[in-house]
Amino acid sequence: MHWIIRFFTIYRNITSFCALVFVSLWMMSSTPVKQEKIARILSFSIFYPFQFYISQTARIKNIFSENRKLKEDNAAQAAAIAMLKEQAQEGARLEGLLSLRGNYTYDLQVARVVAREPSSVSRSVIISVGKENGVAAYMPVITSLGAVGKVVLALPHMALVQLLNDPSNRTSVLAQRSREVGILETENGEEFFIRYRTHADVAPGDTIVTSGLGGVYLKGLTVGAVTRVVTSRDPLFKKVFVVMSVDFNRLEDVFVIRVKSQWTSFRSELDSLERRQ
Amino acid sequence: MIMHYLRWPILFVACFILQTSFVPSLSVLGVKPDLLMIVLFFFSIRYGVMAGVFVGFFMGLAQDLYTPAILGQNALTKTIIGACIGLFNEKVMRTDPFVKTIILFVMFIVHDSVFMLVLLMKNTNHFFVMVPDLFVKTIPRALYSAAIAALFYAWEFLPKPSGRR
Repeated sequence: MHWIIRFFTIYRNITSFCALVFVSLWMMSSTPVKQEKIARILSFSIFYPFQFYISQTARIKNIFSENRKLKEDNAAQAAAIAMLKEQAQEGARLEGLLSLRGNYTYDLQVARVVAREPSSVSRSVIISVGKENGVAAYMPVITSLGAVGKVVLALPHMALVQLLNDPSNRTSVLAQRSREVGILETENGEEFFIRYRTHADVAPGDTIVTSGLGGVYLKGLTVGAVTRVVTSRDPLFKKVFVVMSVDFNRLEDVFVIRVKSQWTSFRSELDSLERRQ
Repeated sequence: MIMHYLRWPILFVACFILQTSFVPSLSVLGVKPDLLMIVLFFFSIRYGVMAGVFVGFFMGLAQDLYTPAILGQNALTKTIIGACIGLFNEKVMRTDPFVKTIILFVMFIVHDSVFMLVLLMKNTNHFFVMVPDLFVKTIPRALYSAAIAALFYAWEFLPKPSGRR
């Protein structure tokens, strides 16, 4: 026993280094679900309240000029809204005539991005709205340019949004022109691609929108445009590269679509099964 | 006296908050400085391997809690970096501020290399995506951060009204 204490005292630098490396490796080898749950609970209770208040303080600086600009925009948009209302009424009339049933009235909640990931590529952001504003998990988040991501965790006044550029995110999309459905993927958060069957009709310039099949995103939200099509050695599939319509590094204001996920009940069932395991 | 002990923890927390809220607005062509690495560098070079290892671990763990991609990935990387920087402890060897800035630059390269190595251990398919990132992202980020660290050293050498250097 004595020689162990002596060993640790003499080689304290090496032993502490080895111990901490071992702890890190142990954490890395635990299951992803367990890792994610622990990390999210701890980080929400430790970091985000600080960030929220600092972010709010920093925004006060710009609030006066922003207010003036918003008033100008408001006047311009009032006229545009009047015109759009006319068009909406016309659209509703035509829809009725065609006997189409569509849910185009999104219940939007405006939110501000108050914190980002500290890494070079942001894969999740914190927004300034939460359960108090009717926001819940699996609600889609968009900007005027297109889909941004989905809410993965909602607290009373804040929510964590997983962005589309998170490599663990898979989004069901379709090519607007040919209606070919695929899964949008990314490996590094910057280059996005869809694996289509070789004979799928997809060409550069095609607009990619959400398919609505994943149960989270509503159908028809803009995702991006096809830049190039690469035929790989795999005879069954080709890789279609997509440039995203949203710049994930410049997100400031977003909208949460307050719509209940189609698969909420299914997901809660899965979660309860996971907990039992 | 209390402030003497609380100085570094406050600095770590402040840097972490700034890194996640203010630093993105300092980005130039998408390149952001890494305040956490800079503070870890200043701390480890002053207090040595032991302190660097522990601070690096907890700093990395804090980052991991924030970014739960692979829990422990940042902790491992920062522990290694804390140990490496600690080897250049000011009490053991006196180094020029210019040399220290170069050490910081090199540590950034080591940091990102270890980080990528861990990712590759999890998924070998990422190899050809990640290796170019080492040149495209790491080197500009290292240069930007080293420039900020150099500013701190330059400030140290400015003449002060109280007469201290």
